[in-house]
Amino acid sequence: MTAVIDVQNLTKRYRSTTAVDDLSFRIEEHAIYGFLGSNGAGKTTTMSMLTAQNFPTSGSIRVFGEQPYENARVLSRMCFVRESQKYPDDFTPQHAFRSARLFFPHWDEDFAQELISDFRLPLKTTIKKLSRGQLSAVGVIIGLAARAEITFFDEPYLGLDAVARALFYDRLMEDYAEHPRTIVLSSHLIDEIADLIERVLIIDDGHLLVDATTDDLRGQAVTLTGSADQVNRFVVGREVLHRQSLGNVSSATVFGTLSDAELTDVREAGLERTPVPLQQLVVHLTQKNRNGSSEARPGAQAGSQAGSQVGSQAGTGSRSTDPSEART
Amino acid sequence: MTTASTTTTSTSTSASTGGTTVTTTGDAARATGPIRARAADPPTSGTASTGSRILSVVRLQFVNRYTFLWIPLLIIVSAVLLSLAIYWMVDSDSPVYGGGGQAPLWYYLAVGVQAMSLTFPFSQAMSLTRREFFLGTVLAAAISALVLAAFYVLLGLFEQATDGYGINGYIAYLPWVWENGWVGTAAVVAALTMFFFLTGFWFATIYRRAGTIAVTIAVIGLALVLLAAIFIITRMEAWSSVLEFFATMGPLGLAGILAGLAVVVGTGSWVTLRRSMH
Repeated sequence: MTAVIDVQNLTKRYRSTTAVDDLSFRIEEHAIYGFLGSNGAGKTTTMSMLTAQNFPTSGSIRVFGEQPYENARVLSRMCFVRESQKYPDDFTPQHAFRSARLFFPHWDEDFAQELISDFRLPLKTTIKKLSRGQLSAVGVIIGLAARAEITFFDEPYLGLDAVARALFYDRLMEDYAEHPRTIVLSSHLIDEIADLIERVLIIDDGHLLVDATTDDLRGQAVTLTGSADQVNRFVVGREVLHRQSLGNVSSATVFGTLSDAELTDVREAGLERTPVPLQQLVVHLTQKNRNGSSEARPGAQAGSQAGSQVGSQAGTGSRSTDPSEART
Repeated sequence: MTTASTTTTSTSTSASTGGTTVTTTGDAARATGPIRARAADPPTSGTASTGSRILSVVRLQFVNRYTFLWIPLLIIVSAVLLSLAIYWMVDSDSPVYGGGGQAPLWYYLAVGVQAMSLTFPFSQAMSLTRREFFLGTVLAAAISALVLAAFYVLLGLFEQATDGYGINGYIAYLPWVWENGWVGTAAVVAALTMFFFLTGFWFATIYRRAGTIAVTIAVIGLALVLLAAIFIITRMEAWSSVLEFFATMGPLGLAGILAGLAVVVGTGSWVTLRRSMH
């Protein structure tokens, strides 16, 4: 794997706040990343700095091995679609696309036209008069049709209805399959993009919380469903993310992976194991971080602490990294 | 970070690799990037040269022709028509000169503001460098200024030929401005336009970078400088020599001074823009 972005100790301080605090991570070529975190976590600031639209207070950024600031060679290979993009006065979507064609070397006009009709975007209405959803569609179309080697989508779905969002995800996946590239998707609708993203970066309060593959992260928790007694017995001494009961049937989502012995135990107890929604995990990890739990940054090295969180009553504490196993 | 291991001298470790230094300027740090990633570069045919990207910025600015072409011309044509209506009502025997021709200049102040406040964020979304955006935008403004100057000259020649539209009224053909012929006139108009454009651009850049207070302080500062100049001239009772200076300087001299001011304002804009955030 080749890292297309290499960030070391990236920090951004404003007068009174630290928006990004000592971030270090790499982004690999040809992968879809989920860049997750709450409002104000520092996602947009980070992406702005990666695309040289904002400046780091300290730390270094390498994109394609080079410094991006004022570097046309690097910038022309990236595209950053902002949630609140401004357009020149009196610009229509057509003007915007015509401009994008000038600057993105891999721009695909046919694909753009297809997307325009998919999103039913009016081309001759000034952008000022578009609805919020249509405005988002303009950005989404530019981001997709530009086919930049690295594309950042910063909450691109604002105002898009469920149909349009599904359309965006579908087109993204189709085009990604044909033209592999690096895509960084920042989103609050985590479960909607959970199936798209291969890797997850979670930041909170400017800190990196998680840098893991989606499967590894999902493997860090499990939902057990079955008779309430058995579920109750099982969750003792574990971190419970979520509980739900209906009559005698109960389900609990617990943090941590299960050892082989525990897996057998679960099977014998007649409990059903299902993977956990990514969103629940992200919320949990974020909250845990804020409560300043005793463990250092959970999951910063995905899985390395997972064993210790299982509780050590059962031998090796080996964790299942294979997601298919978790679904059996 | 293979470079760290090859550093044998006693220099501090923070300076030993390109990866850990704070990188604020482009060129110095660029050379230290790992070679590995460069090797993976696609064929360079995909990336356009800076020169062609700057020309593309000009095209970007002209994508919507209203801003840079039709509206300034519309303004000057309306200014002419309004002036003519006034001249006709005044119905004077001697030639009447009006200042309606300056109307588009104020519009260029606004164009400068918009080029920054709206087109700059869009140019960032188009993955342009600040340098490409600035040079392309200044070039676009210069082309627009030349078109306006040409129109002004043609209008002046028309007024000359028709004795002021037949009613002895002049908007473009002002005697002092035409002292050096059409070249001087064109130079004055073009330089004034660029000066106004870049001034608007600079103020908008200051606003983007530092906010309302900074702009207010800049405007107050400018007012104080002008006031001081007026005070000094008045104190020294030098108004007559100042006026004489401008009168003897001629339009080409004035255009030169304006061009110099435009360069100063343009340099200020660039320095401010270089560190402006999206």
